[in-house]
Amino acid sequence: MNTPLLSVEGLSKRFGGLQALSDVTFAVNTGEIVGLIGPNGAGKSTLFSTLVGLHRPSAGKVALNGRDVTGLRPHVIAANGLTKTFQNVSLFAGSSVLDNVLIGGLVHSRVASARGFAMDCLKRVGISDIAQRSAGSLSFPERARVEVARALCTRPKVLLLDEVMAALNTAEMDEVIGLIRDLRKDGLTVVIVEHHMRAIMSVCDRIFVLNFGQLIADGPPAHIARHPEVVEAYLGREHDV
Amino acid sequence: MTMRQTFLLICFATLIPLALEPNGYYIRILTLALLFAALGQAWNIVGGLAGQMSLGHAAFFGLGAYTSTLLLIHFGISPWIGMLAGGVLGGIAAFLLSLPTMRLKGHYFALGTLAFAEVFRVIANTWSSLTGGPVGLSVPFSEPSLAMLQFNETRSYYYLMLAAFVAVSMIFVIIVQGRLGYRLRAVKEGPDAAEVIGVNTTRVKIHAAVISGSLTAMLGTLYAQLNFFFDPDTVFGALQISIRIALIVIVGGIGTLFGPLLGALLIIPLEEFANVMLADRAAGLSQLTYGALLMAIVLLQPQGLAEFAKKLAARISGKVMSSKTEART
Repeated sequence: MNTPLLSVEGLSKRFGGLQALSDVTFAVNTGEIVGLIGPNGAGKSTLFSTLVGLHRPSAGKVALNGRDVTGLRPHVIAANGLTKTFQNVSLFAGSSVLDNVLIGGLVHSRVASARGFAMDCLKRVGISDIAQRSAGSLSFPERARVEVARALCTRPKVLLLDEVMAALNTAEMDEVIGLIRDLRKDGLTVVIVEHHMRAIMSVCDRIFVLNFGQLIADGPPAHIARHPEVVEAYLGREHDV
Repeated sequence: MTMRQTFLLICFATLIPLALEPNGYYIRILTLALLFAALGQAWNIVGGLAGQMSLGHAAFFGLGAYTSTLLLIHFGISPWIGMLAGGVLGGIAAFLLSLPTMRLKGHYFALGTLAFAEVFRVIANTWSSLTGGPVGLSVPFSEPSLAMLQFNETRSYYYLMLAAFVAVSMIFVIIVQGRLGYRLRAVKEGPDAAEVIGVNTTRVKIHAAVISGSLTAMLGTLYAQLNFFFDPDTVFGALQISIRIALIVIVGGIGTLFGPLLGALLIIPLEEFANVMLADRAAGLSQLTYGALLMAIVLLQPQGLAEFAKKLAARISGKVMSSKTEART
């Protein structure tokens, strides 16, 4: 097993005059939980969107399980096992929670069996009791969980979680951390963007740091916490004050 | 609405003509309303489920009317077969229209489709050797028969349009409950999220457009057979067909099963009566009244009549329930 599950080489994305990502290279192995951190505007969400195919990269290559998926449409990439949740949560507000999740299951099966699997996914994230509620009426933490369930319903190999723990209290956050660990036991590989350092340090095997669209550090949590460039990116230089 | 209620409604609709003069004015209005309800239901697949405001459905409608009528005039082919041929052409036209309008949203989609239908109207007006031009076409009448889709009595057409409405509605229900329906709602409510969880948004939109366009073209044949005469403006006209269909569904309740029926039953008679009662009083008075009434309805019931009917039913059943509990105590 030398081929990494997700490998990214020299990925760049430019929006007009803005270089959102420049020459990002990294690899994620099967079963890993990887964190992606960086200051606001560092390009974390852009990186996720580019990986799943919502943005076409300006340069570089994305490979999934050795297969080049660069420039493919998002639904093709999803069918190949890579999907993400949305930071700003984009549920289908007019549909029920169950229907939201069910649509993810249609990649692989018909409506009836997708419904059954969607129920399993809702149980997995602990919200099967709100299956029949309208997605538009949920609280933010509930919506974030529906996002996760919907992504799980596509049966991904790699799941990109974009700030699913925002607005959670400590107890809820611990539940989500437990869930992510459980998902790994099921064989899922997870990449997490998160601002809560405690959460990300406790759950991740490895952390990537992105700043101004560039990858500035890569290593185990303890190493990252002491990394001078990371400290600088987050807290500014000592003499800046 | 349950299966039983729907069945009773269809039975009721079947009995209505018995109370009306078989060739009279009222049954003709109801027949036209049923045809437009069916058109609204076909439009609903694109406008309601996919959320794309098409103002170009006249293109498919006219294509259907011309295809079957020309086949009948020149080759004596039964309108049933002409209807199928029109349906195929309507589907192809919808597919071709989808390619450039796919990425358009909201008003831009509406304008793009509107222009598409106008092109057909202009072509039909100028290509006189084929279409007869602005003079229009008359459907040759041989003898009343189901095989030739021609009847003496409006009553027969009433049943034809009722069957068409039920058929299109059944297709609508099948779509809503199946994979396509779920995917269409996802595309409508969040195209990016839909793609990321594996929905091929392009293909889904094309499927909906082709089904809707094809059904609309087939209904164009029924219109030609009902009216026995049409010209480019009556079947390809934006106001006469495209906007009217969209309006019916918007007033009735967009994306709902009974919206097109409720909308058609309100708008078609309203147009008719405004015309009959006010046309000779002052120029434009009938249109003014019609417009004012429509605005009032949309302002008072922006969710559409179907939503209003639902609330009304809930209130009535609520009252019945509460009076029952009162009686018990």
